[in-house]
Amino acid sequence: MEAKLLALRQTFPGRESQIDQLRNLYGWENEPLAPSVYIYGGPSTGKSAVVLKFFETLEIRHANVNLIECYSAKILFESILNQLTGHRLDPRVGTPYAKCDTLKEFIEHLQNVDKEINLSRCVVILDKAEELRTMDHNLLPSFLRLQELSNLSLSVIFLSEIVFEKYYFRLNIIEPIKIHFPQYTKDELLEILSFDFDLVRELIGNNFSQPIQFDIDFFRNYLNVFLSVFYRACRDLSELRHMSRRNFLKYCEPITRNEFTIKDSMALWKHIAPILKNSLEVLYLRVSTDDASKPIENFAHSLELPFYAKYLLIAAYLASYNSAKDDKRLFMKYHGKKTKTQRDVKQKSKVSEKLNTQMGPNAFTLDRLLAIFYSILYDKVGFNNHLLIQVSSLVELQLLSLASDSSTLDGRKYKCNVNFDCIQSISKMVGFNIRKYLSDFSHM
Amino acid sequence: MVIENETVSVSKGVFIFKNNFKPIRKSKKDYKKCNRNDNIFTHNLWYQEYSSLWNSLFEDIQKLTSNIFSVMTKDLLEFIKSACNSVTFEIPTAALLTGINMPDHVEQFIALEKQLKDHITPHVATLNSQDCSSMKFLMENLVNQFLNGTDYIYLDEDDMETDQCKDSIKKSFLNFSLLESWYWEQYASRNKCRANQKPLVVIFPDFESFNINILQKFILVASSHLKKLPFVFVFGIATSVSILYYAFPYHVSSKISIKMFKCEQSINLLNNVLENIFLNSFCPFQLGGNVFNLFTDIFLFYDYSVHNFIQNIKYTMMEHFCYGNAMALCNLDKKEVKDMLNIFKHEDFENVRQLKSFRKLVESQEFQNRINLLTNDEYLKNVIFENVLMLQRYIRRLHIFLKCLHVLVHDLPGYPLGKQLRELYAICVSENVCKTQQYNECFQLLGFQSKEDLCLKLEKILDILASVINENSKKTQLKDFFCDLKKYKNLLVNLTDFNVDIEEKEKDSDVNNSFTNQMDRKALKQTLLLRSKQKPKSLNKYEKLRIEILDQLSQNFKIYLVEPSSLYLYEIFFFDNISIQNKIIGIHRSAIHTALNNPHYYLQCNCCEISNTHSIKRTMPDVCIAYKLHLECGKMINMYDWLQAFICIIDVDGSKENENQSKKVDPQIQARFTRAVAELEYLGFIKSSKRKADHVTRLTWGG
Repeated sequence: MEAKLLALRQTFPGRESQIDQLRNLYGWENEPLAPSVYIYGGPSTGKSAVVLKFFETLEIRHANVNLIECYSAKILFESILNQLTGHRLDPRVGTPYAKCDTLKEFIEHLQNVDKEINLSRCVVILDKAEELRTMDHNLLPSFLRLQELSNLSLSVIFLSEIVFEKYYFRLNIIEPIKIHFPQYTKDELLEILSFDFDLVRELIGNNFSQPIQFDIDFFRNYLNVFLSVFYRACRDLSELRHMSRRNFLKYCEPITRNEFTIKDSMALWKHIAPILKNSLEVLYLRVSTDDASKPIENFAHSLELPFYAKYLLIAAYLASYNSAKDDKRLFMKYHGKKTKTQRDVKQKSKVSEKLNTQMGPNAFTLDRLLAIFYSILYDKVGFNNHLLIQVSSLVELQLLSLASDSSTLDGRKYKCNVNFDCIQSISKMVGFNIRKYLSDFSHM
Repeated sequence: MVIENETVSVSKGVFIFKNNFKPIRKSKKDYKKCNRNDNIFTHNLWYQEYSSLWNSLFEDIQKLTSNIFSVMTKDLLEFIKSACNSVTFEIPTAALLTGINMPDHVEQFIALEKQLKDHITPHVATLNSQDCSSMKFLMENLVNQFLNGTDYIYLDEDDMETDQCKDSIKKSFLNFSLLESWYWEQYASRNKCRANQKPLVVIFPDFESFNINILQKFILVASSHLKKLPFVFVFGIATSVSILYYAFPYHVSSKISIKMFKCEQSINLLNNVLENIFLNSFCPFQLGGNVFNLFTDIFLFYDYSVHNFIQNIKYTMMEHFCYGNAMALCNLDKKEVKDMLNIFKHEDFENVRQLKSFRKLVESQEFQNRINLLTNDEYLKNVIFENVLMLQRYIRRLHIFLKCLHVLVHDLPGYPLGKQLRELYAICVSENVCKTQQYNECFQLLGFQSKEDLCLKLEKILDILASVINENSKKTQLKDFFCDLKKYKNLLVNLTDFNVDIEEKEKDSDVNNSFTNQMDRKALKQTLLLRSKQKPKSLNKYEKLRIEILDQLSQNFKIYLVEPSSLYLYEIFFFDNISIQNKIIGIHRSAIHTALNNPHYYLQCNCCEISNTHSIKRTMPDVCIAYKLHLECGKMINMYDWLQAFICIIDVDGSKENENQSKKVDPQIQARFTRAVAELEYLGFIKSSKRKADHVTRLTWGG
């Protein structure tokens, strides 16, 4: 038992106190079991990994359910039962261990199961517990007191990224015991990342024809350099792990080319520093290695739209970012003279936050869109179904979005989803001066 | 009788009888078969010709498109293969940038799925956004596809026949734990190592239309199962990669590792299809300039869809062959035309006689021949045969020389004749290209080309010619042309001496000498003018050769690149009826207007025929009368006046009789009027107004 726990502590550096807490709660056979435990901490702080490994090593019967895949409570109940009983689904029939639609049935089944196999001291682990807030309302309170409801010595563990206070949607819930998983410190990260050693060795063997021999110190040296650049920007373990693997190959490249030796850490540092800086820019983007070098291309240029669809998009932008009362002035040839009023003068000296282009897209009707489309288009084109299809295909591409209910066919309203830079480069492509037709810029 | 007994009931009720209805899917094959055999046109010659031609074209198109996509698919397959061999912590994801055309993609993804199934893994699922409106549907759909290897849609049918389909699993059981145990049974239970495990490929053809929340959740779920279920995702993205970053927050995007794959742009795809299938000398059916321009306009301005383009061409082909048996001659094979002519009947020859250009043919003949043409079928047969042969030769030459001309002009500055072969084709079939201004401009520009460029172009032209010339055949004009060009090319290659001929040089020096004398400004101007006029004479050898070559080329173009309408019976091969526009482009508003304004157009009845669009007949449908009356009004319409006008038209006799009596409206007519107005309101032409009592607002303008 002690030996096992020691091994566990070694595999999870920086999580010793949490493992101790878990052991205090679940490690003693004779102690009564805590009805519910709430474990929280940021992403990739080892919550699920530690908890699962802990119960595996202690050989405690447990069921682990990820709540994201439980789009209905039924799946949640059935998969808990399946796991506790060790029921293996037959892919040809697919029947679960027992059918239960409601919580009541679930508890009854639990009690039935207990008669066959001893369910005492078993644990139900609910991963991504924040999903409980959007699921059935009775689930959270009843899982918190499952022990009491079922009359079995069960325990429920919630794993979540948010603090428990965020669940207070109704009173009368039992406060569970809470365990916090804090973020790793730099040293702990280094410790964890250096577990990659074997994998990295394999990686080097696969990627370079001429394998290089290096020891763990060499790798830790690299990680030190790596963390000194990345630690300030990102503390997320999985992202750091991803980045460190990618960059380690580049770190070793000059060695395989026989430019530097393994010992020459200063030269290696000089070589890798600019590369690390560059890859800091694609942090979180997860583009694969060969694409990472080229910058993300302009959205407008990569968009391949037919000619009229471009004009429709421009018209939609104009409709979204001009107020309807300006339409006459902007789009008609003989709109008559407008006497300047005090209000107009005030409007022109608008602060930038009040500019129409900064205010976000307004909804417009299809009629208005078409009217603007026809007034900005030079050659007169017949009104036909191909044009109307373009509107709906723009909606499908999410360049426009439907602002009214999708079930109404009459008087549909749309919004334009592209930004000013994008629309400007699109209008440049078709040779259209968009600033002339925007009420924010037209007076300039 | 049995049925009657079964339906005896105390109260009224609805009874269900299962009629052992079989879903169409199963009987589809028979249905298709009988459809093909019993087509009402099957015995018509033109239909046979059409169907054989279309089938061969369609086959070619499919072959071509699969070739085009094969490069990209190969990369993709390679990626998936490598992805499933290496240990990953993220889900390998391929982002396919497909361009915005959804209809074109369907086939592409079907082909991709098939290739995946053939080469990599039997487990491929395709999720369409319309089937995945919620997490539940998505899961059930996905798991079902993996387990049964069929599409989701058929599940309901299977449910109907539970006795037939024993394997079917209840829908509510389809979830991830089932998938996991299924996969475990497939591989892990037999103690296979991981390398043997086939990945589960999930294809999302239309990424943009997916509900992003559902997709995010799905990715999270899939990644939590990644250790047991090796997933690979394929996203079909229509707009651009950045949409992935908009769509996924970090905690989702960190679960996938994306690699991008780019598809061919649809404009290149179109050029490819056109150049390899329709614009070559193997396809007998040729589009005329107007129709061709219409289709390319639809493509460029409206939809960018190659699929639609091909469907449009298919429709024109149907329209073309529908003309009659004369079109059965639309064939590029000499022998088949001859056979066809031998089985022609009198009506078929009459059909040919109705062709427009037949009149020109008759007019060009002498008197005796004219009578023969119009009355003697046997004589006509020979004339047709000759003309068709001429057309066949013309079409072959047309495409060869089009390609040659394209080689010459496609990279000239300013592109006077266009960049693409299709643009050149459109010009050539609608007018005589050699007489156009652009053509002259092109040859002027070609007159400035350097030796290297010209050499390269000549070489390309020689390649084109060599590929079509049969070495063993007897001497033809084409062969002569080929030999001439070859000679020129050799001359050009061997030409190293760029010097101007000596005599001319001397002349030059004379002029130069004349400069030295002192002269006034006027005299200098004149000498300069003289010099500039003399200059063209001082050509070097290359320049002389260039002029010669270009002349030779231009002469040949002038012979072969004439417009098709100058030939007799060209209608057999060329379709240029622009009225097809109305059928290709749907214009619903004008269709409604025509229907209401001139119901005869659609009804084809004798009673509603009108000579003038403004006239109204009482026999027209009520709604048409009301519509035509409302066209005469301004923005506001007085209901009472409208009703009176309506009565005037409907009740011509009655109004006279009732003149003396009180102006009571026949309730029947009023009801008809009310109904017509309600229909117009429903169609969106008028709206009740709150501003003025007894008035309605007109919502359209003009008449």
